[in-house]
Amino acid sequence: MLPNRSRTSVLVFLLPPLLLYGAAVLFPILQSLFLSFFSWNGISEMEFVGLANYIRMFVGDDIFWRAFLNALIYLAICLVLQLGGALAVASLLTSLRRGRELIKTLYLLPAVISTVAIAFLFVRIYSLEPVGLLNQLLHWIGLGSLERPWLSDVNTVLAAVSAPEGWRFTGLYMLIIYAALLAVPKELEEAAVLDGASRWTLFSKIRFPYIRPVWITTTIMATTYGLRGFDIPYLMTNGGPGQSSELLTTYMYKTAFTSTDFGYASTISVFIVIECLAAVGLILFLLKRKADA
Amino acid sequence: MKNLLRAAAVAAATALALTACGGGSSTNSSDVSPTGEMKPHEISWLLSRPADGAVINIMKKLADEYAADHPGFKLNLITTPDRPSYIQKLETLAAANKLPELFDTDATPFAQQLAKQGKMLDAEKLLKSLDIYGNYRPGALDYQRFDDGSLYMIPFQFELEFMWYNKALLAKAGVAVPKSLDDIPAMCTALRSKGITPIAIDGQDQWPLERYVAYQPFREAGPGFVQKLKKGDAKFSDAAGQKTVNWMAELGKAKCFQDGFSAQGYSDAQNQFTSGQAAMYNIGTWELPSLATDKLNPAVRNDVDFFTLPTTAGSVTAANEFVSPSGIGMAVNAKTYDPLVSDFLKFALKKYPAQYAATGALSPTTDVQTTVPANATPLFQKALDQAKDLGSKQAMPWDTQLDPTTNGRLQQELVLLVQGEVTPQQFTETLDSTIAQNAPKFFK
Repeated sequence: MLPNRSRTSVLVFLLPPLLLYGAAVLFPILQSLFLSFFSWNGISEMEFVGLANYIRMFVGDDIFWRAFLNALIYLAICLVLQLGGALAVASLLTSLRRGRELIKTLYLLPAVISTVAIAFLFVRIYSLEPVGLLNQLLHWIGLGSLERPWLSDVNTVLAAVSAPEGWRFTGLYMLIIYAALLAVPKELEEAAVLDGASRWTLFSKIRFPYIRPVWITTTIMATTYGLRGFDIPYLMTNGGPGQSSELLTTYMYKTAFTSTDFGYASTISVFIVIECLAAVGLILFLLKRKADA
Repeated sequence: MKNLLRAAAVAAATALALTACGGGSSTNSSDVSPTGEMKPHEISWLLSRPADGAVINIMKKLADEYAADHPGFKLNLITTPDRPSYIQKLETLAAANKLPELFDTDATPFAQQLAKQGKMLDAEKLLKSLDIYGNYRPGALDYQRFDDGSLYMIPFQFELEFMWYNKALLAKAGVAVPKSLDDIPAMCTALRSKGITPIAIDGQDQWPLERYVAYQPFREAGPGFVQKLKKGDAKFSDAAGQKTVNWMAELGKAKCFQDGFSAQGYSDAQNQFTSGQAAMYNIGTWELPSLATDKLNPAVRNDVDFFTLPTTAGSVTAANEFVSPSGIGMAVNAKTYDPLVSDFLKFALKKYPAQYAATGALSPTTDVQTTVPANATPLFQKALDQAKDLGSKQAMPWDTQLDPTTNGRLQQELVLLVQGEVTPQQFTETLDSTIAQNAPKFFK
C-alpha cells in the first residue's frame, strides 16, 4: 500500500499520459463507433441509418469477407516469418561465438528502412518484365518454370505482399527474443546438459518456458501489427489484382477516402478494433492455459 | 473577480459573434464580381500537377509579377501530383470545410455535389465576365462540364490521346495499323507470335486500362453511354456494354498487355515502348517532349508514329472524335472569393495562354499558337495539327464519370477480366450490381 502522498504523486504523473491516451486513442475509436451508425460522405448531411452499415458488412458485402480472409492469411504468413524466423535466428545467435553484433545489425536493418523504399524494392524483386531478382534466381537454379509475375498472379500476390512485412520485422523480434534467451540462467542449462538433455529438450523444457512471458508480449505485438498491416500491401498492389491482396485495412481506407463512405468505413474500423482485442484475448487465454497445464 | 467575470462574458460574446460570422457568411456561386476594398493577402491553390511542370512554373511567374504590383499578395501552390492521394486530401478538406481559395478537381460526382452546395464559383460566368470565355476551345470547356452542361472548373491544358506505335515492330509481325478497334486482338496475336509485347500499359495507376473499356461504347453508342451507365440507366449487359466487356476479354486472351502489367508503373510502360520492346502505347500529348523530340531513344526514333482511336463498323462517332481531355480543372472557392482573388484571376488567366503555348504545349484557348521546340521531330507538328480538326464529341475518361466506389470496383475487376480470372458474364453481373448499389447515392 502506498502512503497517501505518493499515491497523489502517482496520480499526478499518470493523469497526463492517460488523458493523452484518451484523446489520441480512445476518442477516435468512440468517434468511429458513433459514425458507424450514420451514412455520411463528408460533405452531405449525416443520416442516421441504425445498424444498416453492420448488416451490409456482415451479409451484403463480398469484398469485406474476402478482405477479412486475406487479412488472416496475411497475419499467418507474417507471424510465421516474424516469430518463427526471430526464434530460429535468436537461438542460433546464442550458439555463435563471433560476429553476433554484425548479424544482429544486418537482421535489424530492414526495420529501419522506410516502408516506401521496401515496397519499391520488392516490386522490383518480384517483377517479370523487366526480369527481377526472384525470377532471375529461379531461372539460374533451373526452376525457370516457376517464373511468374508474382504481384499480378492472383494465386501468389497475397504471399508476395506478406513476405516483405514479415522480413522487415524479423530482426526486431529477434532482438527481443535474443535478449530474453540471454537471461536464461546458464547453470540451469549446464545442469540439464550434465543430465544428458538433448538440444531439443534443452530448448523445449528450459529455454522456452523461461522466455514465455517475453514470447507472449512479442506474439501480441506481432499479431496486432499484423492485423493492422496496411502500408506495404497498399503501396505494392493497392489491394489488387482484383481483391486478391485486399486487407481489411486497405479496404477500410479506400472506403473512407476513395468512396467517401465515412460511415461504412467507420463500421469496418470498429470491426478491426474488436478483431484486434479478440486476437489479444485469445493469445493470452491460450498461452496462459498452456502455462498452467 | 468582477472584472474577470466581465472579461469572460465579453470573450464568450465575441466568440459567439465570430462563430455567427463564420457560419453565416453567405456564399453565392454566381456572384463573379465581388465588391469592396481589395486587400492583398496570401491565397492558396491546392493542385494536382507535376511540381516542375509548365502550369505551375507559369502560374508562379505570373503570381510574382502580380505580387510586385500588389505588395502583400502571395500565391501559395500546394501540389500533390499523385492523383489518388490528391483526391483524398481534397475530400478531407472539403469535409472539414477548409478548402482553399483555388483547388483542382475533375468533373466528378463529388465535385458536382460541391457545386450544388454552392461551394464553387460558376466558371462560365467568371470567364464571361473576364471576356475570355470565347477564347477557349469548346472541347476544353466541355471536358470540364458536368452532365447538366454547367461549368465550374477552368482548364489549363488541352491534350489529345493517341495510340503510339512502332512501325518496325508491326512490319516484323506482318500486321498493318488497325483500322478498327476489333482488329486489335488479332494484331496482338500476330505480335506475340514474333515474341513482341503488343501493348505497354501502366497497370499500377489503373486509369490507363480504364481508358480501353471506354473505347468500344464511345464508338458503338457515343458519349451518352457512360452518362447513362453511371446512373444505372444503361447497363454492362446492354449491347454496347457487352461489346466492351467481350472486347476487353479478347484483349486479355490475345495477351495484348505485357506480362504482369498490373504491377507495372508509368515509367515502366513508357520504357518498354521507347526501348523498342513493346509495339504500342496509348498516351496523350503531354508526353510529346519525350516521344516527339530528340530525347526519344535514337534506336526507335524513326520508327515511332501514332494513330488516333480507330473506329468500328457502324460507329456513331467519327474518326476525329476521341479522348481529348483538358486535364484536371481549377475550381474557385465561392466562400473565399473576394476582390483580390477576382483581380488576380483576371490578370493571370489573360496572360497564361501565350506563356503556356510558348512551352510547346497545346493551350486550352485558340487565341495563341503553340511553339514547336527546336529539338522536335516531325511528329510533334503532326500531333499538334490533330487539334485543328476535332469533331464535336469527345470520349470522356470513365474515372472522372463514375461514382468512386463503382470506379474502384471497375478498375479492380478489369484487371481480373483481362487476366482471365473472371468471365465476361461474372464481370457484367458484378459491375451492374455495384452500379445499382452505389449510383443512387451520388446521382439522386
